Amino acid sequence: MASYHGNTASEPAKMEQIITEFFAKSLRIILESRCPYVSSRNYSSEQVLLSPSPPSSSCSSSSFGLRDKSFNLALRDCPAALDNIDFWWQSNLEPMIVDVILVQRSGNWDPMNYLPKRGFARTFSGKEGYYYNSENDEFGYEIESEKIIERWVLHYESKQSGDHGSGVMGNKRAACTSSHALYNKSTLLLRSLYATVRLLPAYKVFRDLISSAQIRAYNLGHRVSSFVEPFTHREEADMQHFVFSPVDTSCGRLCLSVLYCSSVLDISSEPSTPISPQVIHEYVGSPMAEPHKRFISAPVSQSSPSSPPFGRYHSWNYDIYKVSPSSVNLSPSSTYSESCASMPKQLSHRFPPASLPNHTASETPPVHMKDPNFHEYWPSPTFSPSPSPSPSPSPSPSPPAYIPDSHILKALLRSESAPVGIPISRLSTLPKMPKNQLLPLSPSMGTSGRRVSKTDGCSGLYETGSMVDKLFTSAKDEAGKFSGVKQSSNSSSTKSFSRSPSRFSFQDHFDDSEFSGLFITNDDDLTEPSTRPGSFDQPGGLCPSGRSQDTAVGALICMLKKAPPLRPDISITTNLVQGSKP
Amino acid sequence: MNCEVCQLKELEVEHFEIREVLRCILHTILFHRALGLVRPKDVDLELFEITYVQCGDMELERKIDEKIDQFIDRVEKHPNKKNQICLSFYEVKNKHATWFTNKVERLFWEHWYINLNVMQHPKTPSGKSHHSKLVVDPGVEARGARRAALEASLRDVLFQIIKFVNEKKDHVPSIPNVEGIPFPYEITISSSSDSAFGMDMFKRMLQTGHPTMLS
Repeated sequence: MASYHGNTASEPAKMEQIITEFFAKSLRIILESRCPYVSSRNYSSEQVLLSPSPPSSSCSSSSFGLRDKSFNLALRDCPAALDNIDFWWQSNLEPMIVDVILVQRSGNWDPMNYLPKRGFARTFSGKEGYYYNSENDEFGYEIESEKIIERWVLHYESKQSGDHGSGVMGNKRAACTSSHALYNKSTLLLRSLYATVRLLPAYKVFRDLISSAQIRAYNLGHRVSSFVEPFTHREEADMQHFVFSPVDTSCGRLCLSVLYCSSVLDISSEPSTPISPQVIHEYVGSPMAEPHKRFISAPVSQSSPSSPPFGRYHSWNYDIYKVSPSSVNLSPSSTYSESCASMPKQLSHRFPPASLPNHTASETPPVHMKDPNFHEYWPSPTFSPSPSPSPSPSPSPSPPAYIPDSHILKALLRSESAPVGIPISRLSTLPKMPKNQLLPLSPSMGTSGRRVSKTDGCSGLYETGSMVDKLFTSAKDEAGKFSGVKQSSNSSSTKSFSRSPSRFSFQDHFDDSEFSGLFITNDDDLTEPSTRPGSFDQPGGLCPSGRSQDTAVGALICMLKKAPPLRPDISITTNLVQGSKP
Repeated sequence: MNCEVCQLKELEVEHFEIREVLRCILHTILFHRALGLVRPKDVDLELFEITYVQCGDMELERKIDEKIDQFIDRVEKHPNKKNQICLSFYEVKNKHATWFTNKVERLFWEHWYINLNVMQHPKTPSGKSHHSKLVVDPGVEARGARRAALEASLRDVLFQIIKFVNEKKDHVPSIPNVEGIPFPYEITISSSSDSAFGMDMFKRMLQTGHPTMLS
């Protein structure tokens, strides 16, 4: 109704229509700015079609296709308000009372799933009206208190006029004037209402509820009825009364007033629980959450008791190939795992997160190293465990199952997060590690190191913390590309890995230039993989043809840990020290 | 038709608060007088916890910002003076082309006077040694109290507008079937030092030819 021009037909009906629409419009204006649930429903239902905007902010945009334009005030449709008005108010001119209720809750409750229970309220005349009850036990929260912070009262007082005018035409003209004036004045009144609802204290509470990312201990509800119990003197003393000037017509007067509580701001300013991002360590599929699905490897017992066994393993542990199918995850992602080189405690966070697409445990065949090709033992770059501890859909963040050589190779080649090799020449500039002094790529290397290292013959992959520190220091000095374990210059299979999430390429596994990290291996380790406890019994060596077994093993270990840890240095040092302990 | 005048409560503002305060007040008034079809737009003040409503008319927004810029320039040129913005609504009288003038007569039916007292920052006393104590900022608490007081006053002004709009409805002309503001309006700026500061209103009183009803 952009404008209302009276005509001589059924003026009383027109006036009644104006009043009915005025009530509906008023209810919409009030509920839109008071009830988060109503507002969010309106918001969510329209945002699919319309340009996004805050529910409390009606942007002046032509994109709002669904708008109620009555009284020259274009508002978005509010189904909840319509629900309230359609059944509730008809033509018997009962007052409409809208209570805005502040609900304070305690106990466990889920604000994300909060859905005000829809209930009924009986009017004085027996009519039922929908209202939104904040009581919602099914979500497990308890209501501490409810307080009516606003009470809007709309009613039309009809009056019996003894003066019916001087005739039909006189009556009609007066009615025309009356309906026209009623419409214009109602338009003005609705403008004032629209501005007023945003100036009252409850609006701030509403805005806090709909915009804040914090968990609030309170919420807003509403109740629409035609009869309510009046406030007590004590309650009314705390409230302020604002009365809009009534709109007088020849048949009555349209009245609007509000009782509001000014102290509601004190409640809304109470401290709330911020919803801050938190690292979830025990996400589904994490080793910490599902320890039984971790790698099945012997040297678990040697793991630090404080760290999960899986944490001792690198992602690309030798034992991966013994893991049950359910514990294997294969991701086609080309980004290699940074966690390969991560510290033990971080490995549990970093193992294939939920972001790993496509492959699930059920899809992964049992790991079995059929191909002695070195490539097979490289942790698949598709494992891309990201540093973020997102929950993993895979039951276990274990390395891949059977990975075809070509697949691995390609994946490794295209990996972006895998370590980048550094040239051997660079390695030569690094401090030379004595034999038997191998530094694991990650604390998990300790386990693999145990496998690969012997107490005597097999060079352990562990080094004291001091040595690790030195190496880390020097490693960091190397253009900061890597911070891993340095590789012995003696080893021809010097591999390096980077903890940086970039540039892992395996164009040639034994092309040292491809590696950015350092990996100290010992020839003894590389030559006797089978002697390592829990080592996978792969027929072939890790080395491609032309390389020593030790080198291959070392390279494999390096490959297994190619992803840099979340928190480099510290944990590695710690776990290395732990791992070095018998 | 009567000409209603509303003298809004005087506000003490700092220079950087002028724009927000004036926008809030002017748009609130115009929202109540833009009785054609509007798509309301909620605007949150940055300096205060107040949300006011605009008509959603970009052209109107631009005009108001222009006037506010003029007001700010005037304040800078005439410091230490009380400044006033007058928002007036009028109807265009039938043009009476005369021998002397083709001036279009305007029949004002409403005047809103927005009174701002722009505070000036205290200046460092001159001629004193550098060891002398400078005039210092009143302090965080004092500023906070002043800001809170201004916010309360601004909220009072907005309620004053709402009350005035609701109490005085009979003088408003019929609402034409147009979008936005159906009534022409003008915004004038004056200062207390101007001779026309008080005369401006008096002139309008003479123009309307009706006794002014002050709220």
